[in-house]
Amino acid sequence: MHALEVKNLSKHFGHVKAVDNASFIVPEGSIFGLIGRNGAGKTTTIRMMMNIYLPDSGEVILRGTTVGQEFRNKVGYLPEERGLYKKMKVLDLLMFFAEIKGKTGDTVKEKAFEYLEKFSLLDRKNSKIEDLSKGNQQKIQFIATVLHDPEFIILDEPFAGLDPINTEILKDIILQLKKAGKVIIFSTHLMDFAERMCDHIAMIDNGKIILSGSLKEIKERHGQRNISLKYDGDISFLDGQPIIEKVTDFGHATGIRVKEPGHSQELLKLLIKNNVIVKSFNADEISLQEIFIEHAGIEEKEVTKSEVPYV
Amino acid sequence: MFNNRVFAVLKRELRERVMTKSFIIGTLALPFIMVLIFGFQYLMISMEGDSGTSIVMVSEIDDVMQGLKTEFSKKEWVKNGNYILTYQTMSEADFETYLDEHKSDILDKKVTGILFIPASAMQDKQVKYYSKSTKNITLEERVGRVINRVFIDNYFKDKGISQSDIRFARINVDFNTFRVTKDEGFQKESGGNLALSYIFSFLLYISLLMMGTWMMNSVIEEKTNRVCEVILSSVNARELMTGKILGTALTGLLQMVVWLTPIVVVIFFELPVLPRGFIVNLEFWQVIYFLLNFFVGLITYLGLFATVGAIFNTPQEAQSGVTPLMMLIIIPFLITISMIKNPANTLAEVASLLPFAAIIVMPARMTVTDVPLWQFILSFIVNIGTILAIFPFAGKIYRIGILRTGKKPKLKEVIKWIKFQY
Repeated sequence: MHALEVKNLSKHFGHVKAVDNASFIVPEGSIFGLIGRNGAGKTTTIRMMMNIYLPDSGEVILRGTTVGQEFRNKVGYLPEERGLYKKMKVLDLLMFFAEIKGKTGDTVKEKAFEYLEKFSLLDRKNSKIEDLSKGNQQKIQFIATVLHDPEFIILDEPFAGLDPINTEILKDIILQLKKAGKVIIFSTHLMDFAERMCDHIAMIDNGKIILSGSLKEIKERHGQRNISLKYDGDISFLDGQPIIEKVTDFGHATGIRVKEPGHSQELLKLLIKNNVIVKSFNADEISLQEIFIEHAGIEEKEVTKSEVPYV
Repeated sequence: MFNNRVFAVLKRELRERVMTKSFIIGTLALPFIMVLIFGFQYLMISMEGDSGTSIVMVSEIDDVMQGLKTEFSKKEWVKNGNYILTYQTMSEADFETYLDEHKSDILDKKVTGILFIPASAMQDKQVKYYSKSTKNITLEERVGRVINRVFIDNYFKDKGISQSDIRFARINVDFNTFRVTKDEGFQKESGGNLALSYIFSFLLYISLLMMGTWMMNSVIEEKTNRVCEVILSSVNARELMTGKILGTALTGLLQMVVWLTPIVVVIFFELPVLPRGFIVNLEFWQVIYFLLNFFVGLITYLGLFATVGAIFNTPQEAQSGVTPLMMLIIIPFLITISMIKNPANTLAEVASLLPFAAIIVMPARMTVTDVPLWQFILSFIVNIGTILAIFPFAGKIYRIGILRTGKKPKLKEVIKWIKFQY
């Protein structure tokens, strides 16, 4: 049984189809990445998973049963747009967020102290939120997300606005949570970040899931046909070669996709025959960004520079 | 509808409101300000800043002079030295010289004024007053009344009319009013219940507006803070709205109880702080009805204010949505004011049975007229019906609105939200 299964989820607002028949699986004990550019439908999908929005159709299944309040109580959600009650005191606020998840009493309080200690914020427990720095507010927000000991943690850009030291602390906590058997779901538009942290992903574009599964498998599958090349010379002769599907210039390297997995050796021969000096030829590695562009690239022309945050 | 999540939200609302300085000060200050206003007026009337007034009374007729001496000396404000009066008898010609000589005394404020009563005053009651400031209403009232009394006594002295006849001629007509009610027959009344109806509707007006604005700003704050998405991952929109409304409504109720307590204590224990003859008829069930009605009213209006807050992104933007809501409170309030002239006003009777208006008009009406039981019941049904009618829409708009940010939505869009399936 999967930890969480999203089945044929759809949602439209007026004429806009925000999520279109989305399905993916989140396995137990994984760090899962929901990846896509801004406006792709990540937040709407998550809101439907959280029961904040009712889907037009489809369902979200939690260990075999449709999600409801039970799931909400088990989830810790850190939305993209963070928010705290500015006038509340740190400890009161943390206790309130735990209480609406159904957790009250001294155990929660002790846990809150523990987390505050970990982030060196224990001395600020009676400060008002508005008196804390932005970075410290982020930390409080993170504590509020995990204080009630959730089984699922949904994080949206958790490292945004944190300094390197706190980023490390947060990473450690996330890995600890993973070791403790929690399911962690990231929703992000930062491909390299997802690549480093996640073991399962779903790519969403224009409301549709265009790719999903284990990151390792996906990379292997794509790596066999994709070559990352660094060279000196002229490779324009590759255009029109029958084994070549596509050549993309990524700046630091050139991505070449061949039509069949076995074609990579032929490509290398072809390059040498044409006197291209090969500096690096990597048929094993492909970045998530390249995979994303390969799948969502059709829309590239519609995306203006400001809308491509992952470049 | 009511669970531990709603309770948690409610508790937070209560604590974040009641435990603030502005709430405590605001709650305690209002009765204090009211007492202060009444007290200040009383003080103004009693003192009137006329201590140290000194007047020289000059009369051509010695009899009048003697009469003035005896009458003035009886007055409290002469006895306690607030007014220092000196008396002289002289002819008009002598007075002119006297006035010339003593003009400087007036200018130097050695005397406040010089009053001259010519012999002709016994025909036309015309007297002359010389002073730096001549428009002194207190002086005219106080001194003039005594002078008039002396004139009347003097005029009728030799005409064979008894003192009791003169006294009768002197007094004014006094209206003693009685309110006719169904069960208790006649109740002696004064302006007390009118004042009470005024206070009731004023408190309702103030509190509904204040709590409503608080509610709206708190919803807008949650929206702009983006805290509401975090909350909505634990609590659904309906639970959040219910908790917020109940929490704020209880805050309002608490405040109202604080405000009413001194009034109720004064009335029920007949504390002698009210002016004599100021009778207020108030039954205990009326107080209970008032609070119950107020609570229902709070839920209605807080629901509306929360909805308006959910639509807009800033309090400035929300002004356009708040104006119609304000009208729903201000118009009934003005209708209650119109009742002060005529409590049996048909407009007020109708308004006390209409949605929204009933909440404000009925409590004021019940203190000044005998409201039939069926009207109480109907009014209550209307109020509950209003809540049942508006909340499905209010809840829908709230649910959608709190997650909407960006540009200010148009009315057409808001209506469309109601049709959305969220």
